[in-house]
Amino acid sequence: MGQFPQLIQEDLDLLNVVMGELLTKSEAHVALLVEKAGYLIHQCGNPASIDTTTFATLGSNAYNAVQFMAQLVNESKFTSMYQQGENFSTLMVNVDDNSLLVVVFPTHLTVGSMKYYATPAAQAIAQRIVVASERAPGKGLDLSDLNPTDVQALFKKQ
Amino acid sequence: MAIINQATKELQVKIVYYGPAKSGKTTNLEQVHANVQVPEATAKGKMTSLATSSDRTLFFDFFPLEAVAIKGFKTKFALFTVPGQVIYNATRQIVLRGVDGIVFVADSQYDKMEENVETFKHLEENLKTLNLNLEDIPYVMQYNKRDLADVAPIEYMDFVLNNREVQVPSFEASASNCDGVFETLNMITRMLLHKFLNDGARK
Repeated sequence: MGQFPQLIQEDLDLLNVVMGELLTKSEAHVALLVEKAGYLIHQCGNPASIDTTTFATLGSNAYNAVQFMAQLVNESKFTSMYQQGENFSTLMVNVDDNSLLVVVFPTHLTVGSMKYYATPAAQAIAQRIVVASERAPGKGLDLSDLNPTDVQALFKKQ
Repeated sequence: MAIINQATKELQVKIVYYGPAKSGKTTNLEQVHANVQVPEATAKGKMTSLATSSDRTLFFDFFPLEAVAIKGFKTKFALFTVPGQVIYNATRQIVLRGVDGIVFVADSQYDKMEENVETFKHLEENLKTLNLNLEDIPYVMQYNKRDLADVAPIEYMDFVLNNREVQVPSFEASASNCDGVFETLNMITRMLLHKFLNDGARK
């Protein structure tokens, strides 16, 4: 289980293309790239009514929990998960060891068609993550401007 | 592990509050959520609790909190709790995935000491299953419920729970009164940022 790489603008541009195409072709509403620890990495579509940060966290933990459950019955191949709703449904597709593609779509669309479009999108994202990982695997954050005394009390009580 | 997004100038880190059942992990998060000063409303996300009908944490509590800890970078802290009850140990492992910093919330009452020790052992074991080592992760101890009767002295708590080669910072707290809550959070965030600073310097 490696670390999710740092992304630069070029990566985000590609994610916009891949996830945008997914939404156009599938007619889904929202696509989220989520790191499995719960972080929202990128989002596309129209998430106005969704708290995408919370959605990403709940989605990743739900996926991890079901994966854990599958392992208990020696089921190692676990690549997607589907939640069926009355108005909107959610499909979560594994991208790689560290990330997931989460797609929210109206229920008149079928999960089969969603998988059809989401699977190649997830593969394209996975390839880009490999590129990003190879670009600067050990590059840290430049904290030369950080004065440690400034963070003595980052959060204050009202 | 922390996510650094150079394109959007964001750093995302995960802090997990870990400890035995009813030690006050959820109360810590509730107090931070209710009382933290934020420059704008969007800096503080909604608190999500996946709890049982009797209000015990079933999976986790979570809320995101933003701050400008590093010049030019928006830092997003994802604060989580784990369920305290031993039957939910599998879900504790899931929540620990990708953890950057840990607050161990211990119950200061004498009769909870065995549970504190047991839970700390579980923490170390759970991290090992994720190929993580507690020594590599910044963590602090919070000795909670100091307002109750029959609490153990701090020296005793340190001896029982914080008796290692390198002692980690420990805080007395009464989370239900919001005492010690922000001190604990500020210390773990400070330790995390120092770790990033040191790791960055080594590279």
